[in-house]
Order: sequence, then structure tokens, then C-alpha cells
Amino acid sequence: MNRSEWSITMKTNGTGDKRTVLEIDRVCKSYVKGTRVNDNISISLAEGEIFGLLGPNGAGKTTLVNQIIGLVKPDSGGIVLDGVDIVANPNYARQACSFQAQTQVPINGLTTMQAIELVGRVRGGGAGGVRKRTRELIRELEMEEWSRKTAESFSGGMRRLVAFCMAAVIPGRIVILDEPTNDVDPLRRRLLWQQVRNLIEKGSTVLLVTHNVLEAERTVDRLAIIDQGRVIGTGTPGSLKENGSRNMRLELILEPRSEVPESPGFMQHTILNGRRMIVKLEDDDVAPAMQWARKLKDTGVVEEFSVGPSTLEDVYVKMVGNSDALIRPEQEIENGTYAS
Amino acid sequence: MARTLRSYVLMLKWQALSNKPILPLEAAVQVMIACGFVIGLSFFYPDINPTTAKFLVTGAPTLILLMTGLVLAPQIISMARAEGTFDYIWSLPVKRIVYLLADATIWVLVSLPGVVLALIIGAAYHDFSLEISPLAVPALLLIALTGVFIGYAIAHGAPKPQLANLATQIIVFFIMIFSPVVYPTEQLPDWLATLHNGLPIKYMADLSRGTLTDMDVNLGLAFSVVGVWCVAAFLVTYALVHRRR
Repeated sequence: MNRSEWSITMKTNGTGDKRTVLEIDRVCKSYVKGTRVNDNISISLAEGEIFGLLGPNGAGKTTLVNQIIGLVKPDSGGIVLDGVDIVANPNYARQACSFQAQTQVPINGLTTMQAIELVGRVRGGGAGGVRKRTRELIRELEMEEWSRKTAESFSGGMRRLVAFCMAAVIPGRIVILDEPTNDVDPLRRRLLWQQVRNLIEKGSTVLLVTHNVLEAERTVDRLAIIDQGRVIGTGTPGSLKENGSRNMRLELILEPRSEVPESPGFMQHTILNGRRMIVKLEDDDVAPAMQWARKLKDTGVVEEFSVGPSTLEDVYVKMVGNSDALIRPEQEIENGTYAS
Repeated sequence: MARTLRSYVLMLKWQALSNKPILPLEAAVQVMIACGFVIGLSFFYPDINPTTAKFLVTGAPTLILLMTGLVLAPQIISMARAEGTFDYIWSLPVKRIVYLLADATIWVLVSLPGVVLALIIGAAYHDFSLEISPLAVPALLLIALTGVFIGYAIAHGAPKPQLANLATQIIVFFIMIFSPVVYPTEQLPDWLATLHNGLPIKYMADLSRGTLTDMDVNLGLAFSVVGVWCVAAFLVTYALVHRRR
């Protein structure tokens, strides 16, 4: 697949009349001469949306975020937040953005309450209001058990939840969340996403940096996919999926140790991840594909199967095309043979 | 101004809480170092006279303050740099200089018990009286801040955090063995004595001696040289923490 076929150039912020809060315009950054970590990146965030920045490890997502909050200076291009040039005025960005870093947050020695309250106060909140909001976040994320414990004993997931609360206690105009759910248990992930939506209701705009495509699909209003420093697709999850042409997918779970089945004619675009096999389908291929899958199940080749609409993950895999970098490493096969 | 002060108090609280698990240990180490300097070093001298004893005891505050500023602080900073925590700290709406001053305050406070104990134990052990001038407070504060800011400059300026640790170890070795802190400058070879005319170490020791005893020291010169080093180290640190990658 030619990467350009998947690219959608956004001439506007893509959200109708909503005001643009953050405008990233042709930003380039190299740490080593000749290797661009960010290559001509242009993105705009509209007020009140959850914007996803998706891409594999090393795609340049964190470098872009670090330029927004003024830790890194672009080689060229501009970043404007609320009409303010934040490349020239990084202090404004630090006031206007609250940030959950991907790296360690310095909370050892602090209890959950202390860590969240301190950031709330540092961000200008009053003592009473910050305490109330801290308690609300702790309650909503079901962290009461840890509220008065110091962070040294916390798991990675609990540390990330505390870091999220530190970004959410007095949310900025833009709340930047860099991989917020890493190591967080599935139940609290749901609670966390609810809190992310609450941030929108409170008037913030959220920039969500992730390589977890499944979560992003359920959460973001719009997204940009970044690979090797470049934006290779921008739009809503729906618009990106439509550009993926094939709209349906057949998912098969192979029996342990069974061979990859023979390929029928419709099986042109197949992805294999361990025992999980995903086949992209045209609408006309759905019926024969179901018959084929049933036969495989009856003969003991397949443990289970399902047919459904294509997901953002399918589009993402096609666009990025770099299987090693995915959260679930996948191998592409063609005509039944591995081609990884 | 009120906002800056509020930020300073909040960052001071954050740093104090962050270091709480290791502060008692660090204070204990400072006390051990203090005893080591004022008693242990005297074992080098079989017949210790009052002048030598005064050199040892009044050199101890400089050594303790430099150990804190040049070793402990950079090591903690290097660890934080390696973990990437500064990416978070620098993203907060707090002036970086305010964060640095809050951090420096912690390190100065950590080294205080060791300094006081070294002077009390040293004077008692070697049986002489200290003559403490009111200038002792600014003098010791200047030594401490200069040490911390030089440590910060090394820790934030080193290309790799591990290099900062290596550099501070070498510097401390140089200060302990090849610097006129616990012995007079006249005992050094000429070239090393000349080198020390441009470094702050000798003048830091002079600040201690001139404000804690009746020893004849050019305090004006000592304040000036150490002050210049303090401002220079502060400016370098300021530039380093404000640079963008």
C-alpha cells in the first residue's frame, strides 16, 4: 500500500465551527543532523475535543509534545496556543497546559493526596478547592486505599493514576496525556477515560498521546497518525476507516499448533498475531468468508471466529506498516505464507 | 512577588517531602563526616599543635558543605535526570530558578547539623575556643550556596548523568587531598598554590577561619572571590536549566 493513499490532508481543523486552540504548523526537529524526529508536522486542535496522537514507539510523538510545553525547541515551524507564539513564549505554554509525562513523576516520599494537592496549588488553585477536587478524583478513580500512602510502594499503574490526577486537578486549557493508561488495570482504565471526558466538560481540550489504538478509537474525536516523524493520516476514526477501503474484517482464533489455513480468493490482506488472524473483507466477501470460517471451525483448525466492521487498528497497521512497533506485534502474511 | 514566594514555599515542601525518606540518613552521614574530619584527620598529625587543630576544625565546615553541594546534590540530580523527572518538573508553571532555590535550601539545611557538630566536637576534642563572628552566617551560607551551584552546573551540564557523578568524585578527591582546607597553602608546591589562587576552595576555607576563629585572614578578598564563583556558578546553572534541547 502506498502510504500517500492513506494520507488525508486537513485544510481546516476538521471540526466545523469550533475554535482552534492549538496550531502546530510545519514543525521540524532533528537531534542528530540529517535525522528528523519531527518532519514537517502540521496539526490543529479544536476547542473541547479529544485529539489523539497515535504512532509506534519512536515515531516522534513525545518530541512533539515536548515542543508544545517548551522543553524542546523546533528547528523550524511554529506552534501557536490561544493566539500566543509558544515557541517564543514557552512560559505561556506551561501555564496553559497541564501535562502527564510518560516519564517518572517525582512523587516518592509524597502521599497520593500530597502529590495531587501540591500540583493543584502550584497551578494556582486555592487550598480548599484543590483539596475538594483531589478528593473527587481519588474517589472517582477508586484510589481511596492509597490516598494517604507514600508512593514508594505504588505499582506502575498506581503511579500513572496519581500522575493523571496531577494533570487533572487544575486542568489547563490543554491537558496533555502521554500514554495515560500504561500499566493501569482494566477497571480503572474505564474510570480514567470517564475522567478524561469530564475534563472536556470542564472546558479543557485533551491531547492524548498513545500507541494503544483500541483505546484511542473509543476515546478520541479526531486523531493524527505519526510514523517516522511524519503525519501520515489525520481525521476522525470513522473517516480514516473509510479511507481504508475494505470495511469489514474476519477475525479467526486458530487452534493451538494448527497450520495457517489455505487462502481463498478474498484473502488478500491478512494479518497474523500469534493465533489471531485478521482478514480484511469487501462487503461481497462476507458470506463466503463466514462459510469458510465455519468449515475451519468444524474441521478443528479454528477455535472461534467473528465478523465485524473494520477497526482503527486495521487501518493503523496498514498505514504504519511497521509490525515491530505495535503494542501487539503482528506479522503480515500473503497467500498463507509469512511475509514478516 | 507573592506568586514567586508561594511557588518557592510549595516547591520547598515538595522537595522536603521527596527527600524525607533519605534526609535522616543524609544528616547521619553528615554527622559521621563531621566527626571523621575533626577527629579522624588529626590522626595524620602525631603531635598536633593548636594551629594545626584550628586548621582542621575550621576546614571541616568547608569540606562538609562542599561534600553536600558537590556530591550529594549532583548525585540526586543525576538520578532524576536519568529517570527523566526534570521533563515533568520543567513543565510546571514554576520559574526554574524558584525550583533551584527551593532545592538548594534543602541541601543547605541538610548540611547544617554536620557543620555545627563538627565545630562543637572539634573545639572540645582539640581544646580550644571558637570566636564566632556575626559574619559566620553569611560566610557559611555563601560557601554552601557556591558548592551547591557548582554541583548543579556540573549535574545539569554533563552530557550524561553518569559523567556528572564521575566529575564530582574527582573534584572531591582534589578538594580533600590537594587543597589547602585542613592545612596551610604553604605546604603545597608552588604551582598548585598558584592554581588555588584562582579557585574558590582556599577562600572558602579562609571564610570559615576568618569568621570562626581569631586567625588573620583577608575576609574581604575571600568574600569577593567566593562571591564571584557563586554568581558565576549560579548564572551557568540558570543558563543550563533554561536551555531547550
